[in-house]
Amino acid sequence: MNEKNTLFNWFKLVLKRDLVLSFKKIATFMVPLVFFLIVITLFPLALGTEGSFLSTLSSGVIWVAALLASLLAVESIFNEDYRDGTLDQFLISGEPTFILVLAKVLAHWLVTGAPLLLASLISTFFLYLPEGLLFPLLISLLMGTFLLSLLGALGGALTIGKTAILSAVIVLPLSVPILILGVAVITSALNGQDFFSYLYFLGAMLAIGIPGLCLATTEAIFINYD
Amino acid sequence: MINLIKKWLISLGSPPLFFKWASKILPWFFPISILILLTGLIWGIGFAPTDYKQGDVYRIIFIHVPSAILGQSIYLMMAIFGFICLIWRAKLAGMFLRSAAPIGASFTLIALVSGAVWGKPTWGTWWVWDARLTSTLILFFLYAGIISLYSSIDNKQKGDRAASLISVVGVIIIPIIKKSVDWWQTLHQPSTFTITSAPSMTPDMYLPLLICVIGFYSILFSILLNTLRAEILIRERNTSWVRQFLNNQIKE
Repeated sequence: MNEKNTLFNWFKLVLKRDLVLSFKKIATFMVPLVFFLIVITLFPLALGTEGSFLSTLSSGVIWVAALLASLLAVESIFNEDYRDGTLDQFLISGEPTFILVLAKVLAHWLVTGAPLLLASLISTFFLYLPEGLLFPLLISLLMGTFLLSLLGALGGALTIGKTAILSAVIVLPLSVPILILGVAVITSALNGQDFFSYLYFLGAMLAIGIPGLCLATTEAIFINYD
Repeated sequence: MINLIKKWLISLGSPPLFFKWASKILPWFFPISILILLTGLIWGIGFAPTDYKQGDVYRIIFIHVPSAILGQSIYLMMAIFGFICLIWRAKLAGMFLRSAAPIGASFTLIALVSGAVWGKPTWGTWWVWDARLTSTLILFFLYAGIISLYSSIDNKQKGDRAASLISVVGVIIIPIIKKSVDWWQTLHQPSTFTITSAPSMTPDMYLPLLICVIGFYSILFSILLNTLRAEILIRERNTSWVRQFLNNQIKE
């Protein structure tokens, strides 16, 4: 083995480890998915099944359900590693924590966020999403769920060893712009307007959020190990 | 000169010296702040002219506007002190955060409630999903999140730093929240109730409002000094100077 000890290798190593671990345990990607679908099902049960009514609500409902599912799933990012001591080992290994956070967020998104995209595809049939909105919905969810994973990682790192609902309370107010922009993409597509301006804004937030929120998450992890 | 200022600033950062300084200032500053506040409120509520459109209801402005201003500026202060707490690990900055957060949350709540009371007679409803109202509500939730975060962490210093981190992140995101809430308003149907653009205020109304704002700020300053004093005593209870201070208090 003469693997070069580069940052990218460290990134790949953590990513691979997290992915393998989550695919060994079916719950990690099953639970957010099922939660999402259950929440989607609750809306017609509560609001009635009238087609046109549901279809006006559909994009908003899907977005809210995705927001809740991905923010409640953050508990798995750091908590398990914290409990069994793996996080301590990561930190004393001397490898940069920033890269660790980045890899863990990406792994978390691949395991929970990406399946949500598929599930939202199914839920569009449940909620009679108006035709032609599938692409705006999926692309806004694609960017939005990654931002939510980043925010969720911050919340999870701040509340290591505590409940997920606490981190949700902290992070949910901060996730308001993501929800608004995500739904704005779909609404403007519905009105036949150009929705790319909102997508650009989401992309800008992603570009600032990836380094910025990962940095904040790194600091949050360090606070726990003072 | 610069050295003197530096020395003074550093001395303010040390809990015992700050405690002494605060104890010196409070006895005369607190009455003054009460006086300013009462002047503003009595002038505003009792003597300012009645609004020709809204009648006497508009007088809620003398409580509503200052508390809304305070709710936002306390968050900004918390972010600044959070930044100091994160970088220089100043103990006092963390204590400031802890004592400022509940005050900021209360002022935001006062702004929301007084706004609702004002909205009922003028707009005909307690709540409108207006951009400003919504972002104030979200600000209140942010405060609630910060308070629940630091109160859930047993280690006080860790709690301080966690709260600092989230307030610094929050202050960066707040402009985005405001902007996005504005967009959201224009995207949805325009609100049925328009805030009647008030006629430019006469000095008779504007001056008491200004005094109210100054009064609210000075009362905030007094409350902060007092809660900080309490927080310092609690945190430093194991040090010799606190024991000495408490012994002196008992003797007196």
